[in-house]
Amino acid sequence: MLFRVDPASAVPLGDQIAACVRGALADGSAAPGERLPAARELADSLGVNVHTVLRGYQRLREEGLIELRRGRGAVVVPGATAPDRARLVSRLREAAAEARELGLTEEEFLDLARTSLG
Amino acid sequence: MNRATPRLRVLAALPFVLVLLAYLLVLALWYDRLPDPLATHFGPEGGGRADGFTGRTASAFVSTALLLGTAVGWNLFVRRNALWGAWATAGFTGTLLVLVLRDNLDAADAAEVVSPLVNLTLAAAGAALLALAGLALTRLVPEEEPAAGPGAEDGPRLPLGPSEVAGWSRTSASRPLTVLAVLALAAVPVTLLLAPWPGAWPALLGPVVGVPGLALARVRVTVDRRGLTVRPALVPRPRVRVPLDEIAGATARDVDPVSEFGGWGYRVRPRRTGVVLRSGEALVVRRDNGHEFAVTVSDAHTAAALLNTLVERRGRL
Repeated sequence: MLFRVDPASAVPLGDQIAACVRGALADGSAAPGERLPAARELADSLGVNVHTVLRGYQRLREEGLIELRRGRGAVVVPGATAPDRARLVSRLREAAAEARELGLTEEEFLDLARTSLG
Repeated sequence: MNRATPRLRVLAALPFVLVLLAYLLVLALWYDRLPDPLATHFGPEGGGRADGFTGRTASAFVSTALLLGTAVGWNLFVRRNALWGAWATAGFTGTLLVLVLRDNLDAADAAEVVSPLVNLTLAAAGAALLALAGLALTRLVPEEEPAAGPGAEDGPRLPLGPSEVAGWSRTSASRPLTVLAVLALAAVPVTLLLAPWPGAWPALLGPVVGVPGLALARVRVTVDRRGLTVRPALVPRPRVRVPLDEIAGATARDVDPVSEFGGWGYRVRPRRTGVVLRSGEALVVRRDNGHEFAVTVSDAHTAAALLNTLVERRGRL
């Protein structure tokens, strides 16, 4: 899979890395169960700090898209729903960014999300 | 493409056909004067006394199969500058087969047949003679064109922003190789436990096959600002790296392991190296010196595009 980050962008590098994985999952260039490059290796590749990569991986873990295991590295969650889940997370992040632009508070945004659920 | 031309294949098969015809002719001429069964294997005792026997007709079939089998093998793997080898093989095998027939000639009892060691020298002479013929015939085969893959100018591209940094990484695996390597390793404890010690020593060959096999069974291919790196998926070393400075261009194309690389695994051929785990999609990198490095991996098109872009960017800086 392709990782591309822009240090000149306002988006934090860790988030950019997470977005690459989400995108790869969504378009099928990363498959469920696939192992991501080790954080240190990816950091060397891109010339960024290893903690930056780990921050990106940690975010993906919180989103339920990858599993992080000591010694095994980062693995895309197995199961056919992973690509759809990646797409859903991407859309949610877009929605959150839009809400921020509109000047919504966190509470207001969550209320809206809750209303959409019901 | 470095595939053998039809002419090269015909010239590689020719010596085996000629030798087979000569052998069958000799066999037909001498058929009534040969014992049945024939002495076909000789031991060191009594200066090469017979210790293995095959029926007269059966041995004709075995010899034919041997020659045809070797011919097929050479046909699959032959290259222009190895054509003489096909002729030498045919010469050696053919001379030996005919000499064994001669040793059997007019023997009342096949067990009394002796095949002197000098036969091997004669066979080597036969091999040398045909090797010279093969060498002379090499001139009839046009020289292999140096691999002319696309350079960075006309290969695929990946648009990158001026401050954007990119890397591509993917694993490539071979299931047959994994199975083979695991079997080779598993054979070690099994054999050592079940077989008595002196007979079990070949088991020690298990790791010789298994460890490199396992290292190659799953590799990680990385393309980044440093160039192209291929290493075992589980450990960082040993690795193969083509530095970005030495890359002229990259392309994605289908490779054929047998005709282009002579098999699977880490292959080194003249002007072409490769980590070839399967047939099909591969990332092929052309070095500045015209040599090629190939690694079979999916999504090779993206990797090639990134490499070309990185090479181009390096040129601009």
